[in-house]
Amino acid sequence: MELIDRVNELLEKGETFCLATIVASHRSDVPSGRKVIILRDGSMEGEIESKQLRMTLCDPALEALKEKKKRIVEIAHGVRVFIDVLSADAKLLVCGAGHIALHLTRFARQVGFSVTVLDDRSEFAHTSLFPDCKVIAEDFTEALRDMPLSPSTYVVVITRGHEHDIECLVEILRNETAYVGLIGSRRRIRFVLDILAQEGIPQDRLKEVFTPIGLPIGAESPAEIAISIVAELVCIRRKGSAGVLALRTAVGGSK
Amino acid sequence: MTDQEIFRKLAELRNRGVAVCLATIVETIGSTPREQGAKMIVCVDGTLYGSVGGGCGEDNVRTAALRCIITTKTTELIEVDLTDDLGTRNGDVCGGKMLLFLEPF
Repeated sequence: MELIDRVNELLEKGETFCLATIVASHRSDVPSGRKVIILRDGSMEGEIESKQLRMTLCDPALEALKEKKKRIVEIAHGVRVFIDVLSADAKLLVCGAGHIALHLTRFARQVGFSVTVLDDRSEFAHTSLFPDCKVIAEDFTEALRDMPLSPSTYVVVITRGHEHDIECLVEILRNETAYVGLIGSRRRIRFVLDILAQEGIPQDRLKEVFTPIGLPIGAESPAEIAISIVAELVCIRRKGSAGVLALRTAVGGSK
Repeated sequence: MTDQEIFRKLAELRNRGVAVCLATIVETIGSTPREQGAKMIVCVDGTLYGSVGGGCGEDNVRTAALRCIITTKTTELIEVDLTDDLGTRNGDVCGGKMLLFLEPF
């Protein structure tokens, strides 16, 4: 199998790994362009034969993986390698297929999220309305029970009613996720969070739910709100939760 | 485009027999429009997928990439200098430099 196909296969599987490429070399056994894949467990696949060079490459590659930081290293005199860290597209799950979801899914696709939409109403959760998205028209609880949510999954809860928000969040918050955001007035949000606490979701986990959802840009229309939410997702992806909290604090937490 | 989209596109173009060059920013110094690891595919007809910096320096990259595909048929490491004086017409004025690796597929 060609290396590019293997890279695609690993990305499809949701793996994070290093792709090291020789970018400068005057050694004929490792010409520029040769590549090696380094997996999390330190195993290597690819086009560099020299055991010694592979060993020299292993440590900086694993460090790059751990820190999620790309780098250039010299593994022998004059042999420079670019160590890239590759991850699958971040996954976004949108619960609720209403007005905001129509815009939100489009913006999210454009900035590289792989998007799933879930609603229990098949006339709303319909593939014709959400091009390039996976669309699930099923009962919220049942669908979420079967859904693999991981630390690389972003979840936006924008259902039509607080009872559905509760149904969704009870299932979602049992998993570790990259982000959970909940739409609603402060009153509605307070009510939802109180019920979730009674359902046994720990306070620490409830505190991680981003409310009010979206960066504070004064959004009002569905499309504006969708932009503010996607801006928040981008901020989390690039700068982590701390980045969003810093922005929220800077504008005083107001809308 | 994300890395996953770039590699998917790379395989798709290869399967269709289109000659392409992958340009990757492997190092940056100072202010550059895109970050280390940003990628762009240059097709033999000049079509671009992804971006390594929009207007700033991208023309130089495209020219070098076409050279790799058509003329030299080998890899190339190029430095793109974005330190033109402010106000220079069509100037690259971001202030930094970036090193790109170009590889024909």
